[in-house]
Amino acid sequence: MSGPYRIDGGAIDRGRSLAFRFDGRSMTGHPGDTLASALLANGVRLVGRSFKYHRPRGVFSAGSEEPSALVELRNGAHREPNTRATVAELFDGLEAFGQNYRGSLRHDLLAVNDLLAPFLSAGFYYKTFMWPKSFWERVYEPAIRASAGLGRLSGEADPDSYDKGFLHCDLLIVGAGPAGLAAALAAGRSGARVILADEDFVMGGRLNAETHEVNGRSGTDWAAKAVRELASMDRVRLLLRTTVVGAWDHGVYSALERRTDHLAASNGKPRQILWRIYSKRAILAAGATERPIAFGGNDRPGVMLAGAVRAYANRFAVGAGRRVGLFTNNDDGWRTAADLTARGIEVAAVIDVRDRRPLADVPGARILMGGRVTATWGRRGLKGVELASGERIALDCLAVSGGWNPNVHLTCHHGGRPLWRPEITAFVPGGGLPEGMTVAGAANGTFTTAAALAGGHRAAAAVLDGLGVSVAAGEAPGASDEAAGVSAFWHVRESRGRAWLDLQNDVTVKDVVQAHREGFRSVEHLKRYTTLGMATDQGKTANVGALAIMAEQTGRTIAETGTTVFRPPYTPVPIAAFAGRSRGREFRPTRLTPSHDWAAGQGAVFIEAGMWLRAQWFPRPGETHWRQSVDREVLQTRGSVGICDVTTLGKIDIQGRDAAEFLNKVYANGFAKLAVGKVRYGLMLREDGIAYDDGTTARLGDHHFVMTTTTANAVLVFRNMEFARQCLWPGLDVHLISATEQWAQFAVAGPNSRSLLRKIVDPEHDISNEAFPFMACGEIGVCGGTPGRLFRISFSGELAYEIAVPARYGESLMAALMAAGEEFDAFAYGTEALGVMRVEKGHAAGPELIGQTTARMLGMQRTVSKKKDCIGNILSERPEMNREDGLELMGFRPIDRSQELSAGAHFLAPGAEATMENDEGWLTSVAWSPELGHAIGLGFIRNGHARVGETVRAWDGVRGRDVPVEIVSAHFLDPDGERLRG
Amino acid sequence: MAEFALKARAPLDGYARTFGTISLAEEAGLSLVSAAVPQGGDDALAAALAAGLGAARPATGDSALCDRYGARLLGMQPDQMFILFEAPDPDRAAETVGDALGPAAYVTDQSDSWAMLRIAGAGARAALERICMLDLDAAAFPEGRVARTVMEHLAVIILRDGTDRFLLMSPRSSARSFLHAVEVSIGNTAG
Amino acid sequence: MIIDHPLLGPRDAQEFVILGDASLIDRPDWQAEDAAQQFHDYQHLRDNPAGEHRELWFHEQGDRSWLVVTRSTLTHEVLKVELARDVAIARGRNR
Repeated sequence: MSGPYRIDGGAIDRGRSLAFRFDGRSMTGHPGDTLASALLANGVRLVGRSFKYHRPRGVFSAGSEEPSALVELRNGAHREPNTRATVAELFDGLEAFGQNYRGSLRHDLLAVNDLLAPFLSAGFYYKTFMWPKSFWERVYEPAIRASAGLGRLSGEADPDSYDKGFLHCDLLIVGAGPAGLAAALAAGRSGARVILADEDFVMGGRLNAETHEVNGRSGTDWAAKAVRELASMDRVRLLLRTTVVGAWDHGVYSALERRTDHLAASNGKPRQILWRIYSKRAILAAGATERPIAFGGNDRPGVMLAGAVRAYANRFAVGAGRRVGLFTNNDDGWRTAADLTARGIEVAAVIDVRDRRPLADVPGARILMGGRVTATWGRRGLKGVELASGERIALDCLAVSGGWNPNVHLTCHHGGRPLWRPEITAFVPGGGLPEGMTVAGAANGTFTTAAALAGGHRAAAAVLDGLGVSVAAGEAPGASDEAAGVSAFWHVRESRGRAWLDLQNDVTVKDVVQAHREGFRSVEHLKRYTTLGMATDQGKTANVGALAIMAEQTGRTIAETGTTVFRPPYTPVPIAAFAGRSRGREFRPTRLTPSHDWAAGQGAVFIEAGMWLRAQWFPRPGETHWRQSVDREVLQTRGSVGICDVTTLGKIDIQGRDAAEFLNKVYANGFAKLAVGKVRYGLMLREDGIAYDDGTTARLGDHHFVMTTTTANAVLVFRNMEFARQCLWPGLDVHLISATEQWAQFAVAGPNSRSLLRKIVDPEHDISNEAFPFMACGEIGVCGGTPGRLFRISFSGELAYEIAVPARYGESLMAALMAAGEEFDAFAYGTEALGVMRVEKGHAAGPELIGQTTARMLGMQRTVSKKKDCIGNILSERPEMNREDGLELMGFRPIDRSQELSAGAHFLAPGAEATMENDEGWLTSVAWSPELGHAIGLGFIRNGHARVGETVRAWDGVRGRDVPVEIVSAHFLDPDGERLRG
Repeated sequence: MAEFALKARAPLDGYARTFGTISLAEEAGLSLVSAAVPQGGDDALAAALAAGLGAARPATGDSALCDRYGARLLGMQPDQMFILFEAPDPDRAAETVGDALGPAAYVTDQSDSWAMLRIAGAGARAALERICMLDLDAAAFPEGRVARTVMEHLAVIILRDGTDRFLLMSPRSSARSFLHAVEVSIGNTAG
Repeated sequence: MIIDHPLLGPRDAQEFVILGDASLIDRPDWQAEDAAQQFHDYQHLRDNPAGEHRELWFHEQGDRSWLVVTRSTLTHEVLKVELARDVAIARGRNR
């Protein structure tokens, strides 16, 4: 027998036993149990401790609304804190621990907080930890942090995997209780594409917890039969263990499916899947959640929701107690008394706050109409209750029903506010529902089974009609209407001791009264001041009761008091599920250059540049410092020839009758007159006149150009050019397509580059200086006829080319270039050497193009053509951007050549204080020039060209450097460009 | 004979693997050429397509099979389509299309821009459900339908060319990341 | 959010990039007398209505169409989706 509290019947599989441990104690349960039902069956009542006062806490509900029975589930890295025992399915080998205690669960050292309760009421933190200010960081915060939080994280990486996915349907039905099943049957039989999602591991909702009959059979059987029928339909998808947690725009819903949480191990499959569901329509059939009545000592383990007590009896075959009392303000609560009695559990008392005739005779029970529970006793679990009359009744379980709250949460995710219906004392969905959503069943405030079945059927028919699907013939399943009368009764005024509202965050009736007294009367203020509803359960069982008490205090109605805003997610979603598979190296994709594997084989060190991995340098044997490698690569290139993979630069193929005119508009400088077979440097401005990208564009034919962009801006430039093409000049015949990935492209730089290329480029192409001068381009054959392109452009300042072949030949071309270069001692160079050479040459790059840079700052004001319309032309003329004393790009070298420079250092006059007023500009890029043998830098400084030879300080407050530097030309090497034209 | 000869390498080195009912394989031999329609040249292109390839131009999002080269036209943009075919000489794929269409289209070789993966089998859709936000239901995305979309941050062109067959094209440089994404999806769903 | 693409049907907004106010189509004449003022207004002055708004969206992970999406900033309802090229032509930008 799996526990002393196990009774007959229920939907558990007694044929199999599952061993599990709680707080080190071994117990057994059955398939079909939750951890909560198995604990109750074994007589475990104390499950955890509350957040603030460390009060004993036990199982309170039988569903996802659970505020109390939070446990740490599983071991080691798999440990998951704050797991609700009421939704954790039992599996063989499950291990769980109570949480939020120091010492042991039974003897929690922090239970002393409870004795301090008179000092710890609402607003305690705000009032107490205000002063002295110096105590905050050293005393208060460490102390609060040490005692804060509920469960403990494992501190290790989550070993499970998670996934995401996308689903589409005509109709999403949220909840598979009577309304949801009736809706799904109607829609499924009509051929609609349906997704039916339910958070439970068995569909049927309350039908599984009650003893209702549907179509003449038990509700459980009817639900099982309905699910079988639905499962046989091709167009219906059943999502068990799936909580729809958010409603988003245009019929999009998010849902968390727990795939392997109920298994001992995930077996390599994702544990949870976060679905994005695209629906044309949705029916919310999320049911209702029972709420308690507040009275003195109502937080003691053993005080439970009445509907949960009968769910444990009917579905899980567990008696929540051996001598049970019922405390209710409504008819539905009486079902608990009836169901327990029928299952042989003693019901000692039925206490109904209403002064009226008893609803039924409960054999053996004292029936106390107009009764009130004012206090409870029992240290770690309920032993009895005291009534307003002074009578004391011994009980080990008190089932409490304060009525039912429709689960309106998803109806409010777009700002809708629920509507108070006094006749059922509940909030029902109001206006402002998410587009395409209708509500059926208890979620809509129709609490009886018959009404839920009919409502679900009707809602589906209406939705199908709206979608133009003809509805299959058939009527709603039938059931008899049960009694559902309810009275507005929220808390027992005569209570002795604290009457609890929020069981997880320890908020009492008194706290709400105090909040009111201190002026926190809006529900939003009430929530934040008392922390009501801010726990992991978001106050599902607490909020409405608290609102009612606030309404009493203010003399307003509950409708006037209103609710706080419901936001997604409906129930907690692990961060890991939001991350899905985007973890570690899979956080984002990796782009590899065509020569990547070759470079890796050479031992290259790689750097991330956006999604690209680029070779940063290529260490050679004996080199122990990156500078040795980079200096060698630079000297090698400048001395003979070096090769660099520059495939990452954006390439855009531009064709059309008006391609040249189009380029004239997107580049600041002119392109219309560029000759076929020539390349030109181009500068791009934003419409506000700021420079944002540059590159070269080659003219391959009258109507055919190839543009290069910087690696970083390839996507943005393409997007902007499509904007210009479609929105600004739609009359031009011009067409764009990305060719970045199509061509493998290598820079071949250095005085021997031509000699090397002569061995690679097919001999019919004359690449002599005369036939193929600086800024020439052309289509060529490579290595015996492979189609390629050659551009005579130089970023290094050397005689240089860029050679391109279709990407599939890229790796092979790299190897061929290296082999052909052997006689010249050719080496590959990486991005670091590339950067050193461009600084030596004074080329602006990313650190210079920072979104504030004007053409004038780059010394390119004359390249901005004033004779044509181009993006950014007009606003680049603004006076402030053209000040004579504006910033100008210059070179800088340390007066003491042995000193280092740091990018980001600001320029100050000698002797000037480091203040904003004295700031004259800043160093943008620095490098150590192996050719010059000292550090060099590029930077912007006011009126720079007029100040060549002047000494300023490069002040770097972050690194504590203050280096006198001389202002020089940005072109440290070969200022007249003789090398690149050679 | 040149001193050095270049060897082609497929983005995924001819990857092929079977996972239960799903087969996943690189489609390495196909050429892909884009063809943009000159403004005002719709009629000229229609005539050139009919004469040069034996096909009618598909609407954006649709594809059409050609009589020549076993080619398939993919409608990618309002004024642009792709031609997927087995080129007689892959090094001259763009020229082949250019010769067939003449001045009626601006052609650009895209063969090396995309890695092509074919996924086929009964479980293919379930696997794609984890990364593809498009509705691949046969009613919404029937055979012959093509779309450009995004999967796991990567651009993907997806073509359905059978009940349970899809051709996936994703940029060459990130092909290994894309393959990984598809493999994980299969692993997470199959078996 | 779903954008009902005029050529492709409903597509998730994740495939798109938003630019902003559709008035960016109305780029001023660079040769106008008061071109500087006009470009200033074009670049910097945008409406931010609570209600119906026309915005430019780029189907970057799709067919590369720029779209003009008319939607309510209050309800997020998408009221109309047009190809921006058609809008631009209708406004005489092809002349």
